[in-house]
Amino acid sequence: MTVPKSNYFTTASSFSGTLFEIEHSITKHFNLEENNRNLQLENIKLRAKVPSFLYELKKDSISVQDTIHQQQYYYIPATIINSTTTKRNNFFTLNAGKTQGISRGMGVFSSNGVVGIVHAASSHFSIVKSVLTSDINIDVMIEKNGAFGLLKWDGKNSNTGEISGITNDIKIPIGSNVISRGGSGIFPKGLRVGKVSAVRPIEGKSVWGIEIRFSEKYASLQNVYVINNLFRNEMLLLENKKGE
Amino acid sequence: MSRFYIFIFRFLIFVFLQVFIFNQLEINPYVHIMVSPLYIMLLPFDLSVIRILFVSFFLGLCIDALSNTFGLHASALVFMAYLRPFVFRWFAPRDGYDTIKNPSIFDMGNKWFVFAFGSLLIFHHLWFFTMESFSISEILLILQKTIPSALLSFIVCVILQTLLLKKSK
Repeated sequence: MTVPKSNYFTTASSFSGTLFEIEHSITKHFNLEENNRNLQLENIKLRAKVPSFLYELKKDSISVQDTIHQQQYYYIPATIINSTTTKRNNFFTLNAGKTQGISRGMGVFSSNGVVGIVHAASSHFSIVKSVLTSDINIDVMIEKNGAFGLLKWDGKNSNTGEISGITNDIKIPIGSNVISRGGSGIFPKGLRVGKVSAVRPIEGKSVWGIEIRFSEKYASLQNVYVINNLFRNEMLLLENKKGE
Repeated sequence: MSRFYIFIFRFLIFVFLQVFIFNQLEINPYVHIMVSPLYIMLLPFDLSVIRILFVSFFLGLCIDALSNTFGLHASALVFMAYLRPFVFRWFAPRDGYDTIKNPSIFDMGNKWFVFAFGSLLIFHHLWFFTMESFSISEILLILQKTIPSALLSFIVCVILQTLLLKKSK
């Protein structure tokens, strides 16, 4: 289904957003243990990476003064307050919106992988078109050999997805990592998506039918980050100029 | 007039049940329990078709607004409401419908309810999943979803009626 552009009558409106906030306050502890474990694991990983920040980490005040590296991505933490995973097109409602700097088209990821793209944002809530929709089309690549294609979902299982568009002259080993390619400027390069679980030839076409196993369990997901690519407009402007 | 308030109250109950209970109840991709068709089914016999269409559109819109489905429920419910008079005429008793009675399992009997509501429910679910996928190539998936969902929805709707309704005198 091509999703309508309408932003009215979605759970991003403040009325339904508030309702789901109440519902979330009841149901949020259902997967608490797993979510805590995931966040803890991520924290350990991050701490291992940046030993110099170990004693300076303060909540929401991480900015790096660096003359060689300029900050390109800005991360906004958010919590999923309503989600479905078994419908044909699944949308997640986040409890953060325009006031936190979220706008349509930003990427969303979690500690285990890519989650989706922001579809609409109101002042305090936003809805995310998740990976589990029929036309999400995030550009992903196989980590080892750099072959890239588009991420699809067949609507049957929230743990497996498909990649289309990788030609069958490239060898795809089963079990190789799939990461985001960063081509459209929504996601940075190298975010985890999943692992290749099956490679099938498609009759009459010169592309592989690749099945992947998502690294994130979307059914119990709660804590996510929204990515604001500070250079995205610049990139799109340049690419549009090239096309003219 | 009291009948009017009963239906307003029931409207809120059905929106609540659908959005906060049955939409959150995600067993697997093939089962999507929908109870909102029962509300349309239980509307009185003597309500005009135009009004039923409006009520079902509004009910669908309320559910859509709360479950990010962009008009899916509204379109499926309107489709079902449109078919309701045809199905009722098809399964009409020999001496017509008694407008004092409700189109419920208690008033009209098991057999009538299974045929009338069952066929409406299948049409509703088929339309819903077809619109959700919106692609002919997924016809197998649509059928795989329609049959178990319609069965389970029917069972849940029968249980709901025993909880919500009494036999009218």
